[in-house]
Amino acid sequence: MERELETRLRAWMEGRAESRWLEKCQWELAEPHPETTQLESVRADIISTVEFNHTGELLATGDKGGRVVIFQREPESKNAPHSQGEYDVYSTFQSHEPEFDYLKSLEIEEKINKIKWLPQQNAAHSLLSTNDKTIKLWKITERDKRPEGYNLKDEEGKLKDLSTVTSLQVPVLKPMDLMVEVSPRRVFANGHTYHINSISVNSDCETYMSADDLRINLWHLAITDRSFNIVDIKPANMEDLTEVITASEFHPHHCNLFVYSSSKGSLRLCDMRAAALCDKHSKLFEEPEDPSNRSFFSEIISSVSDVKFSHSGRYMLTRDYLTVKVWDLNMEARPIETYQVHDYLRSKLCSLYENDCIFDKFECAWNGSDSVIMTGAYNNFFRMFDRNTKRDVTLEASRESSKPRAVLKPRRVCVGGKRRRDDISVDSLDFTKKILHTAWHPAENIIAIAATNNLYIFQDKVNSEMH
Amino acid sequence: MEFKLEAHRIVSISLGKIYNSRVQRGGIKLHKNLLVSLVLRSARQVYLSDPCPGLYLAGPAGSPAAEEEEMETGNVANLISIFGSSFSGLLRKSPGGGREEAEGEESGAEAAEPGQICCDKPVLRDMNPWSTAIVAF
Repeated sequence: MERELETRLRAWMEGRAESRWLEKCQWELAEPHPETTQLESVRADIISTVEFNHTGELLATGDKGGRVVIFQREPESKNAPHSQGEYDVYSTFQSHEPEFDYLKSLEIEEKINKIKWLPQQNAAHSLLSTNDKTIKLWKITERDKRPEGYNLKDEEGKLKDLSTVTSLQVPVLKPMDLMVEVSPRRVFANGHTYHINSISVNSDCETYMSADDLRINLWHLAITDRSFNIVDIKPANMEDLTEVITASEFHPHHCNLFVYSSSKGSLRLCDMRAAALCDKHSKLFEEPEDPSNRSFFSEIISSVSDVKFSHSGRYMLTRDYLTVKVWDLNMEARPIETYQVHDYLRSKLCSLYENDCIFDKFECAWNGSDSVIMTGAYNNFFRMFDRNTKRDVTLEASRESSKPRAVLKPRRVCVGGKRRRDDISVDSLDFTKKILHTAWHPAENIIAIAATNNLYIFQDKVNSEMH
Repeated sequence: MEFKLEAHRIVSISLGKIYNSRVQRGGIKLHKNLLVSLVLRSARQVYLSDPCPGLYLAGPAGSPAAEEEEMETGNVANLISIFGSSFSGLLRKSPGGGREEAEGEESGAEAAEPGQICCDKPVLRDMNPWSTAIVAF
């Protein structure tokens, strides 16, 4: 059986020589700023979202304490070739604070659910960050010059005695240490009754959408006091509720198209040109359920936790509890590819229900060329699937196995049967160590992995160009 | 028989989750509670359809056990008053029973008697409080 697989794999490999990078590539840990990986294990530091900007120069993370930390890639320097392209802390700020809704007697968590970068239009960078209820637009600017030589005040800012001023001078800009300033430019509040699960910036760079469990709103980036409701699946009678919205995203090129996923495992592609209220989908992507896999938990594991358009705009990637699926926008009946992330958990669903792990929402990511997809799993494992060669790899993000410059070794989970030396058995997996959030650099083979309160950034030095 | 035990266990776990969600920070999470109620419905269906009429899974009616059961059904009444209007649609067995169920729930929320019923009375007379709670929810 293994021999046959080997032969088939070899045939694939020979046919696709240029796509062999997955087995050639060697993922190395590019150690970020030391302080970031030595954060204490306090709940507030648990990373809740990770996002590269459009060039990959900046990487933003949000955490449960409402903080945003932005990393910047150091430009490659000839003096220190080993530190080329590493990420250092650029800015840290408190985005959201805990709030209290007095009307409903509910506390609103400050946890950052999602961060999305706006395309850069001038020297400043902008991003949207959201918690359960409020979205904020932050502007990040650099200041590296300071005016000196004022007439009325001295260097410390104290007013001068006017009698000592005998001549006028023009203040000049002198260089100073780089200061990164972050200011909230817009606050989009009171748009959502239910918990916001996703935001997505439109390709028109003027609007964005925010989705909660039952509704999706369209906002204009410059207008905060109103939004336009484009999807509303709240039933007239809440007793009839059977499904909720779990994720949504705008198409990367067509500003009128967006997709939203549901807790029932379906995707709906909507066209904003068709009607003002997009309750009626243009396309419904749904795979019929496999009756042989039916269990008490079938509905839970088919709920889609994340949906991402490919960079090309031709495909969509979805993640449910046990699989990642690639869908072609032109085919609604079933996904074109399905990859098992950790099928060995299928027999353990009851215990995973008991300890709440079955509700974990894993994200998924495309690489820049849409040839490889990545998603997280338990035990600090994350998985990559090469769509061309059909090969996959399991890697681990942990301090023990990742010294700087060390190459990551593929891991394996054994399900019984023959067990190799470094295999992990299913029963010794640590379910408290989960990788829910991962991000892939838009152009290069650099990935950011959030493992609870640690951020790992891996680079493939062998193949830094995307294939 | 095994299915009934498994179903019962899942029902009690699910009810516990729904109860705990009340005190969780950030408010009640609609998505998670919807999924839990779907599991609850499946487990309840298996529990009620499993042909083991003589099996009552609550222990003998010693006072601590009885109190525990009373407490649990009391919780269910509380849960119905919070969630009842949100989730009873999932529990409806047949369209005909819908209206009766809704009425039962409304009075259940206000009534002192925990766990109002929404199926045939003769069946319920034979069931112990624990089973009544499951059916009510």
